[in-house]
Amino acid sequence: MAKNFLKFEYLLLFAVFVIATCGLIYELVAGTLASYLLGDSVKQFSFIIGVYLFSMGIGSYFAKFVKKNQLNTFVEIEILVGVIGGLSSVILFILFDKVDYFQFILYLLVFITGCLVGLEIPLLMNILKEKVEFSDLVSNVFTFDYIGALLASVLFPLVLVPQLGVMKTSLFFGMINVSVAIALCFLLSKELRRPALLKFKAILAFSILLFVFFFSDKILSYSEQKLYGENIIFTKATPYQRIVLTHTKNDYKLYLNNNLQFSSADEYRYHEALVHPVMANAKSIENVLVLGGGDGLAVREILKYKEVKKITLVDLDEGMTTLFATNTILKKFNENSLNNPKVKVFNRDAFLWTKEEKNKFDVIIIDFPDPSNYSLGKLYSLNFYKSLQNITKSETVIVIQTTSPYFAPKSFWCINNTVKEVFPNADAYHVYVPSFGEWGFSIASNDLKNDFSQIKRKATNLRYYDYQYKKLNFFPKDMIANDLEINRLDNQILVRYFDEEWGKL
Amino acid sequence: MKNGENYNLNSRRTFLKSVSAGILLASIPSFLQSCQEKVITFAIKLSGTNHILGHRLRTKDFPKISRTIEIPYLIVGGGIAGLSAGRQFKKRGIEDFLILELEKNTGGNSRNGENKHSKYPLGAHYLPLPNIHDKEVIQFLQESKIITGFKDNFPIFDEEQLTFMPQERLFIKNTWQESLVPKFGISKAAEDDFGRFFEMMTDFRAKKGNDGKFIFDIPISSSSTDKSFNFLDKITMKEWLLEHNFSSEELFEYVNYCCRDDFGLGIEFVSSWAGIHYFASRKHNSTKDKTENVLTWPEGNARLTTHLKAFSKDKTLTNHLVYEAKTVGDKVSVKVFDDAKKESFEIISDKVIFATPQFINGYLLPERKDISKHFHYAPWLLATLTVDNLNDNDSFPLCWDNVIYGAKGLGYIFNQHQNLGQIQEKKVITYYYSFSSEDLKKSRKELLSKPEKFWKEMIINDLKIAHPDIENLIQEIDIQRIGHGMISPVPGFISGNSRKEASQSIENKIFFAHSDLTGISIFEEAFHQGINTVNQLLDETTVA
Repeated sequence: MAKNFLKFEYLLLFAVFVIATCGLIYELVAGTLASYLLGDSVKQFSFIIGVYLFSMGIGSYFAKFVKKNQLNTFVEIEILVGVIGGLSSVILFILFDKVDYFQFILYLLVFITGCLVGLEIPLLMNILKEKVEFSDLVSNVFTFDYIGALLASVLFPLVLVPQLGVMKTSLFFGMINVSVAIALCFLLSKELRRPALLKFKAILAFSILLFVFFFSDKILSYSEQKLYGENIIFTKATPYQRIVLTHTKNDYKLYLNNNLQFSSADEYRYHEALVHPVMANAKSIENVLVLGGGDGLAVREILKYKEVKKITLVDLDEGMTTLFATNTILKKFNENSLNNPKVKVFNRDAFLWTKEEKNKFDVIIIDFPDPSNYSLGKLYSLNFYKSLQNITKSETVIVIQTTSPYFAPKSFWCINNTVKEVFPNADAYHVYVPSFGEWGFSIASNDLKNDFSQIKRKATNLRYYDYQYKKLNFFPKDMIANDLEINRLDNQILVRYFDEEWGKL
Repeated sequence: MKNGENYNLNSRRTFLKSVSAGILLASIPSFLQSCQEKVITFAIKLSGTNHILGHRLRTKDFPKISRTIEIPYLIVGGGIAGLSAGRQFKKRGIEDFLILELEKNTGGNSRNGENKHSKYPLGAHYLPLPNIHDKEVIQFLQESKIITGFKDNFPIFDEEQLTFMPQERLFIKNTWQESLVPKFGISKAAEDDFGRFFEMMTDFRAKKGNDGKFIFDIPISSSSTDKSFNFLDKITMKEWLLEHNFSSEELFEYVNYCCRDDFGLGIEFVSSWAGIHYFASRKHNSTKDKTENVLTWPEGNARLTTHLKAFSKDKTLTNHLVYEAKTVGDKVSVKVFDDAKKESFEIISDKVIFATPQFINGYLLPERKDISKHFHYAPWLLATLTVDNLNDNDSFPLCWDNVIYGAKGLGYIFNQHQNLGQIQEKKVITYYYSFSSEDLKKSRKELLSKPEKFWKEMIINDLKIAHPDIENLIQEIDIQRIGHGMISPVPGFISGNSRKEASQSIENKIFFAHSDLTGISIFEEAFHQGINTVNQLLDETTVA
């Protein structure tokens, strides 16, 4: 009997140890996820620890109301902690984009886990109080509790997050939690009421966790799908960016690093507005340069002019240009433009290429990503536009996509002013693209006499642009900004304007 | 193209998602990596100034003189002061001069290394925008096309040579913030301390002596002779801060950082005159909008060396160690050891400029043995790391200068910051460490005796504060040890007599030019030393 009892006591103490470890792990998982999503890790961790400890207190208080079937309740709580704690990260992951009630769910989960863990220790002490001397009992229980806490807090950052990731860590500990319950069910089945039912519950809980554990990667991609709200039909990670193609009804959307690049439903508006005003206006269009624009959509528009003899496309990302030259769906969008014999693709850094290039071009079309960081900001600097002069003739006409004059008027006009510092003749215009909103461009030339609204040639089969440039270069009051600095490499003021303007939306 | 469209909408969850996905994805390779951890090695190169050859000055066991050559003007030492002297000779129409340099490259503290990813500095790495009244430096920058022209009387600095934005960030309280002065998470008291401190520095910046010259100016030789601020040279910077009731830890740490960065010594050891000079000597008056930017290049000030070198092309002998000099009649005899050919020879000159630090002159010239003992130098250690990535928490993007609050070292410079391209395959950074202590000799011994493993660990542990997994990302490390890195302006040095005595020429035949004679080890001081000494030498000769 004594030997048996020893086993009973240590089994329960081991359970305490596991609960303490798991409980803290769930708390750390919650803290980590909260600081990822909400930022300010000090605040998040502090709040979560506070809520957790407080709810443990509540749990402890309610422990005194559990008078009957204490051992059964103990095992049941163990199962419940495992399931709720284990699944907490999955629930939070899926709710990532529901920022509004993310916090509520987060603290609810922390609260429930805390309550349950808080219930366990007083409950256990009640179970054991008649069998063990009180002082031994208290010190043993708390020793195991605190050792478990230490183990968890050391393992979590050093081993668990790097090896398993946050989601699998919580699922894994959920399983450990439940397996202790399973062990208790079997080893103490004589002491338990209706052990069979408990066993069933425990094993069911374990299977659920195990199932989710193996499909956690799928769940991750599901939450990604939810993020886009569309069916992802294709993804590719190049060394520079992650390319995602989605499909809904008749619309394909391409995302680069989660930023919408184009929507097949209305990209013609953007690309016609980017390409045709310069192509119609330039004195000669034999030799055309495209910087950026690895999707080949601008090239598709350029090829509508038979006079064009040569198109040079410089895009950093080989993965992108290869994809748009080979993928069947994507080739349909650009009408196989990248495989046209007139087109030569260079996968080079546009700034460095421009500095080294010796040829001069008749038309230069610049379609870089928006200046959302300091690296990209360089491509809109005074120094870059000065470098463009190396490859520009007196009659060359240049067009540059320059973000939205409606959402980011400071950024828009800052770029325009910077262009004007280098090119004496410059103007701006804008179009409405439903999936982006109002979008704008700067057009520039060294030739002061060139009137950008003058049409020297037209292409047929355009869906949007009717060669009425004057309809595009009027800006209402809400798209104007004044008193702007010139964007230089040493101030990168544009990145700050851009961040300020897009950041406040 | 237009990624602004989803900029805000996605940024937060994108960040979150990329972090979480990243953690999951990263788990596999990092697990594999942790298995390999024990076998991870990377190339470490330990180099430095040629102290082995230099130390032969103590024993002077050189081969017998095999021949004698004559050259009217000789410059010993090819650092910035020596090269600047060469430039000035040329500007004054003198061609028959020769520069001797112990190292295999000229430039002194303004030399550089290079690997297949980037050039990198082996010492000084930037030049603050010069004061508008510093005509000599402005002239030099203009002839070097660093200043491309003038507009409204202000110089136009070449955009590519001004430090690009973002320039500086500080890692404090587990986040990076822009600028080296902490802005967030500091107490009101600390904020007030900073405010008051900078106000006082602004006052010092404008202060002029009874001769109408600035009290704090560059070069020191053109500042006021008014001695009424000399009391600042009696106490340390720390004592000055305490005297003025500054108390916030952040301010002390910041000023300490600045002093260690510019003098090698922290606030406990550096004189408050020098400490204030750091803040007050630059007037920020060479641009219309009072920009405080600096000029920098991947190879650091080696770029300036390249410009200066052009003036002494074919007039420079490297790997040449001067080991003795004395006046003989109306000439100077200089004994030289050619380390490449392992032979010694004699040079007879009319005039010699020692553009060498005073601790070296103590060995070369018997009459300088005593005075050289008053010159103390802080050792430095630089480590250039080539890394796959820097993996930090990205709270503020990688800057040119990256400082870790409370770290042992002075942080690191991102050497490819001035690159115009979007992406670097590998990142090359240079970590700076100065030995700030009471016993610089002991530090120097430590620097030269401790094995590379010791320094490697120190560097990695220091960088780990901000870049937890840096150890696994390192490709190679080039450690540069500089035993005598910088002159130490300890209290009493700048206002004392040693500088003046050591600057005196010997019999109008041997002259001296070095930044250590000014007490402040910066490019401008060395540059002016070279010019002034040549002018002194030629003008006094003309008079005679």
